Amino acid sequence: MIQRQRSLIRSRSLATVGFLSPGLGLLIVFVAVPILLTAWISLHQGSMAIPYSRMRWVGLKNYATVFEQPIFRTALLNVFLYSLANLVIILPLAILLGLFLYQARIYGRNLLRTVLFLPYMIPTVAVAIVWGYLYEPQYGPLNEILTWLHLPPQGWLGSVHEAMLSLVILNVWQTLGYYVVMVVAGLTEIPQEYYEAASLDGAGWWRRHWYITLPLLRRTLAFVFVILTINTLQVFDPVYVLTQGSPVNSTDVAAYEMYITAFNYGQAGQASAMAMIMLAIVLVLSLFQLRLFRSL
Amino acid sequence: MSVYTKSYRRPSQGRRWLSLALQYLCMVLILVIMLFPFFWLIASSLKSPEDLEALPPVWWPAHPAFSSYRTVFEVTPFARAILNSLIVTVSSTVGILLTSIMAGYVFAKHQFRGKNAIFVCVLATMMVPQFVMLIPLYRMMAALHLDNTYPGLILPNLANGFGIFLMRQFIAGIPDELLEAARLDGASEWTLLWRVVVPLLRPAAAALVLFAFVFQWNNFLWPLSIVYSPEMSTVVLSLNGLRTYTSSVTFANIVMAGTAIGILPSVLLTLWAQRYFIEGISLTGIKG
Repeated sequence: MIQRQRSLIRSRSLATVGFLSPGLGLLIVFVAVPILLTAWISLHQGSMAIPYSRMRWVGLKNYATVFEQPIFRTALLNVFLYSLANLVIILPLAILLGLFLYQARIYGRNLLRTVLFLPYMIPTVAVAIVWGYLYEPQYGPLNEILTWLHLPPQGWLGSVHEAMLSLVILNVWQTLGYYVVMVVAGLTEIPQEYYEAASLDGAGWWRRHWYITLPLLRRTLAFVFVILTINTLQVFDPVYVLTQGSPVNSTDVAAYEMYITAFNYGQAGQASAMAMIMLAIVLVLSLFQLRLFRSL
Repeated sequence: MSVYTKSYRRPSQGRRWLSLALQYLCMVLILVIMLFPFFWLIASSLKSPEDLEALPPVWWPAHPAFSSYRTVFEVTPFARAILNSLIVTVSSTVGILLTSIMAGYVFAKHQFRGKNAIFVCVLATMMVPQFVMLIPLYRMMAALHLDNTYPGLILPNLANGFGIFLMRQFIAGIPDELLEAARLDGASEWTLLWRVVVPLLRPAAAALVLFAFVFQWNNFLWPLSIVYSPEMSTVVLSLNGLRTYTSSVTFANIVMAGTAIGILPSVLLTLWAQRYFIEGISLTGIKG
């Protein structure tokens, strides 16, 4: 009996190792090791093709060079603005639309949810292509609609002041539905009795949601906040497809700057330094946010 | 609702109608905004070069022409790109499914030292931006002469933290008694996983398959980095190429036709199985 028990335990720990190793092994080889190698390259002078053993140690010089370049500082600032603008627009809209989807007693709610969610699932490159034509100043429909409303036509992606906002609108359109679905999932967890009790006490719509919905939704909102930050800080596809950082670097973002530094200029060391800086920013911000929301 | 509330504040018939009308108005407005880009995509793909150049813009072509859906296959190896995308996407989806089920099962139902620490590391990989790994991955594939090949496109995408997390969340909900009963009957861990756990996992596995498929189909940065010949191009890469080489607005019909075809798998999958997607998001979202 004891023999059998022992062999069972052994076969179970064998299974633990066997089942874990494919997934963990792949994550180690294709995620963990590359992160360490990026850190290593960032401390060396190196092109894209030079072997690791022949790279010259330069310490933190790449980091200094990268920060001295106004272009990377601009790219960092731009991606922060992009992220912030997305947060400011998406967070309230997601809450409002989530409440609407959850509470509205109308036909077509499922259709609305599907349509909201659909853009999130299609390639960002495709979304960028379509919006590129929508924004087209002369032949595009958006300026035509503005003309109907007696508003002046805009430069959109061609304008230094509007290009970034245009990319933000594109992202809001594409990803809003995903966050709405998360909010709806959070709302279904709130017990209905709370609202009934509040109604009995005469609380109106605003007060009910301010004192019940928002506090009880804070874990979901924290999650939305963190995912939104992580996703927007790595924006690359629409910039690559639509603007390549133009006009006058107004849409240059960190991921794009890193990509062309590596693949167009062949400066693997500097590009790796940029990647490590972004990694540090993303990790610090999301851990800080998680902690902040936990303490609320 | 108790009788008390009903008598307490019951909106008048008129206000009920008004609120209902407002709700429908909101819904229609959102639908129009969300669907307009899709409308423009289809309309443009059916326009002639003259329609595309017309001022003010033509909203719907007087004579819809489907010829651009043929042209797009002539100006780029688009059929090949579709095949490439299918090969890459299906392989990595199968890989992700297998690795995630196995690892998710262990994290949900096995006990061993350091489990939580390892699981936190797996979760942390979800936070790491794709471009942080890009240079070493590119060098790795180039050193193995796997750049511009299927294995090069597939290998880095055979496992991910999200999949393991999703599977763990679902499998944790399976009662331990069920597993113990099968163990008492002498089932090995292997048969336990595939005979007992996996059949219960069907909705979760569907969610993961769909997520993995769509995200691999949509992936841009990795193919952009390691593919350099048109024959190895994926659909998304071809779309970017089309747009770059035909910047003139008169070719918009061809670019839009390609785009319409390129989004079709994602759109169909989403419509067909949105229930699973939404369950997946809800599960990882709430308990995250």
